[in-house]
Amino acid sequence: MNRRAFLSWGTAGVAALCSAVGVSMAAVARFMVPSVYYEPPQSFKIGNPADFPYGPPTFLADEKIFVFRDREKGFAVASAVCTHLGCTVAHFGSDQKFHCPCHGSVFGPDGAVLHGPAPRPLSWFEVTLARDGQLNIDKDKIVPSSYRLMV
Amino acid sequence: MNLIREIWQSIVRRDPLTTDKGKSELVFLNVWLHIHPAKVKKENLRFKHSFYLGFITFFLFIILVTTGIALMCYYRPYPPQAYQDMKDLQFVVFMGPFLRNMHRWAAHGMVVCVFLHMCRVFYTGSYKKPRQFNWVVGVLLLLLTLGLSFTGYLLPWDQLAYWAITVGTNIGSYAPFVGAQVREILLGGHTVGEAALLRFYVLHVAVFPSFVILLTIVHFWRVRKDGGLSRPVWKLIPRRNEKLVTIGAPVETVALNVAAASKDKTYGLMEVVTGKPIFETVTPEEEEDTVFSYPYAFVREAVVLMATVTTIMMMSLFLNAPLEELANPAKTPNPAKAPWYFLGLQELVSHSALLGGVVAPTLMVLALIAIPYLDRNPSRRPADRKFILWTFTIFVVANLLLIVIGTFFRGPGWTMVPPWVHVVAGAE
Repeated sequence: MNRRAFLSWGTAGVAALCSAVGVSMAAVARFMVPSVYYEPPQSFKIGNPADFPYGPPTFLADEKIFVFRDREKGFAVASAVCTHLGCTVAHFGSDQKFHCPCHGSVFGPDGAVLHGPAPRPLSWFEVTLARDGQLNIDKDKIVPSSYRLMV
Repeated sequence: MNLIREIWQSIVRRDPLTTDKGKSELVFLNVWLHIHPAKVKKENLRFKHSFYLGFITFFLFIILVTTGIALMCYYRPYPPQAYQDMKDLQFVVFMGPFLRNMHRWAAHGMVVCVFLHMCRVFYTGSYKKPRQFNWVVGVLLLLLTLGLSFTGYLLPWDQLAYWAITVGTNIGSYAPFVGAQVREILLGGHTVGEAALLRFYVLHVAVFPSFVILLTIVHFWRVRKDGGLSRPVWKLIPRRNEKLVTIGAPVETVALNVAAASKDKTYGLMEVVTGKPIFETVTPEEEEDTVFSYPYAFVREAVVLMATVTTIMMMSLFLNAPLEELANPAKTPNPAKAPWYFLGLQELVSHSALLGGVVAPTLMVLALIAIPYLDRNPSRRPADRKFILWTFTIFVVANLLLIVIGTFFRGPGWTMVPPWVHVVAGAE
């Protein structure tokens, strides 16, 4: 084997080895990403409009949302997940604000950050009326805080 | 009787321990002990040189592996069962609380001792040439220790565990570009759920311990190959020839005097290579200051082992590992706190998630790794290293201060509440 052949075969060999290792590593990385998430769906029904009282919001613990119902304006749904580090915020009736227990972030009645380290306002989710008359929430559809559903 | 003696001889294969040869052979004919040198410097055995912190850390790790394997027999890493198994360990399993307490206090102790060990190595300048890379291995072991503690923290699946891990993994998601993906892979999903519990369990019982064992082997081997522990600071004398030469490198000075090869002995390659070795060697003058590892080093190690085990056992008798109510994703405890060693981090994060949670810790780790390469000062004497000693002290004190603030001075809503004021949590 001459020098030219040695170098070209050698380069090809090293390149083949590197790509094999690269592809294997990519496969391992992909393996670690689940193909199916056994998590609650992002879009779900929460019940009939009549189930929700006027006034202070109803907190749905499993879905981590606040359902607001106003006599004039209608329904609005806010996320209860703090935008800082994912703790569940509480809504205090006394000041109409959202308070995060982890790092003291405070959000105004419209979800805007008033105080603390939270980087973004709380999300508001689209709420629609399903064909069976139930309220449907879609967490993938973020709406402005002024969004309301009149029933 | 002869047969018994013969069997014993076939196992130990050494001269009686009453002879110097026997004492040396005990060490280097035994696979478990061969990591020790046959002789050690007397000064290096002094408590005030190393405080035996490396050994204590290692023994705590042994306790953790032993109790951890026992606990694994009663634990299923699946959400509702995991918490039930904790309750079983607490009330049903024989000696369950005691084993779990030992595991917990040894884990906390290991975090503390790894950190103190790092401080000792820093203050004595023991990371300097030729030990630079062993310092880096040590920093990796510190990170693995924190990783083990963090993954173990989730396993009880109580409120404390659930929210500490929610906060902790959300901090990671602030890392630019890859943060969200890394969190998703770590949790096996988007929230802390059953996939996350299983992955943390795998990391905790298989992945991280394997790396710890591998790196510990490297760490110990290098201590041995670098000439044992560094000389105590008080023994440092200005040496005429500080320069160390890599084996095989051209030597400007006179070549080492190599004795003529004897016909009665086989020689390995290492023995006939000239040049000074890169590691610290014992000079003929120092030879008088050495003692045999057996019994002098071994007795001390045995005492440290017994003291460590006894301390952890005593703590486990009187202090119970906490177990709160079942994890409830809907109800965040107020305040929600990460494990204590991450509370300094959480304190930083309460001011800015990106700066405090990602930038600051990354810079801290990089700075720690870079220390032996940035510090060009060859002297190990404290008088010559005032600036760097003060810098490191400020770094340590700042970290401790943040942890103390996060642990004792943060109340509901992360407001400043002194520990002597009682606040009823949950009150509006």
